[in-house]
Amino acid sequence: MQNTIHYSNIILPFLYLLTVGVYLYDFIKGEKKLAHSKRLFLFLTLIFHTFYIIIRTIEFDHPPITNVFEIFTILACAIGFSYFILELVTDIRGTGFFIIVIALLFQVLSSIFIRDLTEVKDVLRSNLLGVHVFHALLGYAGITISAVYGFLYLTLYKEIKTNKFGLIFDRLPNLEILERLSFSSAVIGFIALSIATTIGLIWLPQAFPDFSYTDPKLIVTFIVWLMYGVGIILKTTGQWRGKKVVVLSIAGFLLAIFSTIVTNFISRSFHSFY
Amino acid sequence: MNFLAISINHHTAPVEVREALHLNQDEIKNYIDDLKNNLFTEGFILSTCNRTELYGIPAKPEINYIDLEKYLIDKKPSIEIKDEQFQKFFSCSALNHLFRVSAGIDSLLLGDNQILGQVKESFQIAEEKYFVGFLLKRVFDAAAIVGKRAKNETQISDGAITVSYAAVQLIEKIFSNLSKKTALVIGAGETGEIAAKHLRDKGIGRLVITNRTYEKAEKVAEAVNARILPFSHFKENLHDFDIIISATSSNEIILNKEDIKVMMKKRGYAATVLMDIAVPRDIDPAGRDIDNVFYHDIDSLNIIVEQNLKKRKEELPKVEKIIREELVNFFSWYNSLEIAPTIKSLRDYFEEIRADEVQKMINKFSGEDREKVDIVTKRIINKLLHQPTIELKKAAETGIETPESITKIGLIRNLFGIDAKKEN
Repeated sequence: MQNTIHYSNIILPFLYLLTVGVYLYDFIKGEKKLAHSKRLFLFLTLIFHTFYIIIRTIEFDHPPITNVFEIFTILACAIGFSYFILELVTDIRGTGFFIIVIALLFQVLSSIFIRDLTEVKDVLRSNLLGVHVFHALLGYAGITISAVYGFLYLTLYKEIKTNKFGLIFDRLPNLEILERLSFSSAVIGFIALSIATTIGLIWLPQAFPDFSYTDPKLIVTFIVWLMYGVGIILKTTGQWRGKKVVVLSIAGFLLAIFSTIVTNFISRSFHSFY
Repeated sequence: MNFLAISINHHTAPVEVREALHLNQDEIKNYIDDLKNNLFTEGFILSTCNRTELYGIPAKPEINYIDLEKYLIDKKPSIEIKDEQFQKFFSCSALNHLFRVSAGIDSLLLGDNQILGQVKESFQIAEEKYFVGFLLKRVFDAAAIVGKRAKNETQISDGAITVSYAAVQLIEKIFSNLSKKTALVIGAGETGEIAAKHLRDKGIGRLVITNRTYEKAEKVAEAVNARILPFSHFKENLHDFDIIISATSSNEIILNKEDIKVMMKKRGYAATVLMDIAVPRDIDPAGRDIDNVFYHDIDSLNIIVEQNLKKRKEELPKVEKIIREELVNFFSWYNSLEIAPTIKSLRDYFEEIRADEVQKMINKFSGEDREKVDIVTKRIINKLLHQPTIELKKAAETGIETPESITKIGLIRNLFGIDAKKEN
């Protein structure tokens, strides 16, 4: 079984690369015949990815959520699935490349650095942790997609303002749709992150007797949570709109990624599992 | 193939000539009555603002384009039409021309997708007047296939190539649902009216017109079902509109940056499109620096038009390939309309059925009866095919170029599915 896992770990990034390639080709060429078949590439990649996660869980006796590179593969899968559902529900095309390329990035990092861990710390064998990670991943997928749509909004905004009517202008949906997609994804991400943080706060004192509320991970998480919360309130009440909201979403995403990197690799935090 | 066409169009004649030759539906019907009696056995007339064209199968072999030219010139003695203003086509070139027209690549606006509808309409009029036979029906079907394939398989009709459509295309890149948006058109001249019509066609939620001369605004507002805002008050109400299109003949800027700032503040910086399609400009271009203001003038719209036109030109080889393919398809069908191959195909078809059926039942007959069954069934087939064969041979004597022959051969091939069978 371990051989199958290792081969799958190598094949997965290539499958994502192929899917990204098909989406990019369709984005550049805009040919009608690829409109449906590219979705099939994504679907098959996601099925294979699910199979990989299942056999990994069975073989190593734990779901791959105990360190950052295990989480990256699930995050890649979550982003891919979220986009797949989004494309099915909204039928908005032309943005797939920009999102699946993020999933590819996470999967490549995971495939390179992931280790075959059979020994897992007892503290990480908790049901509450499972619920926490599930919501955190959903939240991260949400804010990642929100940031990508935010980035696309800004790019198209700039193109229209400066009279550049290239591929971005031709292929992307309109600004209002991009703003709506960015905002809806941010709301879903915010709700999921709120649940993940609440569960984390309940679980932490039980799992780490020496933990502190001034831990850098907690502080940055709180700032990110606050940014999204304030942004959502300002947008809902009509005080902020358009460019300002998407800039906030991108800033929130960058801060969240930055906090993950810092707490896992640089600083000494309870959240350093690698 | 004895198929003739003449055309006066935007490539060959100035607008005065094209205008004078433009025919409405009633005129087309009258012309068809003339043509039917004198020049064509079947045909149709296509007349749009950019072209007037006659297509048909000559009633006599000696009829040629000179007769068609003379007919048109005699019909419009008041205008001077020169011989070189006519394009003349015969057989394959006539079909090729019709295909190019149907695909929109002969149009003034390259890739125009309204022309196929106009070709269909012309054909329907000819059908109503019983001026369409078996051959022309096939010609029209082929032209319709070319038009549809060009639209579906290429990007020849994609993107706006007029300034007013480019403005709408740009607006649709900013807003998703125009039915929830409000628009103000400043200026009730021709440009303003066209812009208002485009917005109405795109289903704009609320359309308002303002103009210095109230009566002019009233006239346009009535035509596009819009409301009127008095020109003296329009600046105070700017914040109510998501889209503002300005097309006045004013020599001065009528909306300066300060006006735009005030408007944006009042509407909470919600996205606003300012489309200045006037020359000289009506809106201060510095307004584009304000967040969520999308200011565009005639130059930026021309960029879109030029880019789209370039893309359409790049699609031309694909459309021409489709035309070549459909010409080959058409002429392979047409060439199959020869007498001898048709008789042979028909006999083969019957013989195949006879042999199959005999084979299925043959074991039920004794050895000596089998030969008799074979002879009897062959005799039945021969008798059944006797009269059709004689009719086909008669058609051969009159020549296959006559509509009667083509109809007979085509019907037989069609009824017995000979062509379909060949294709399979």
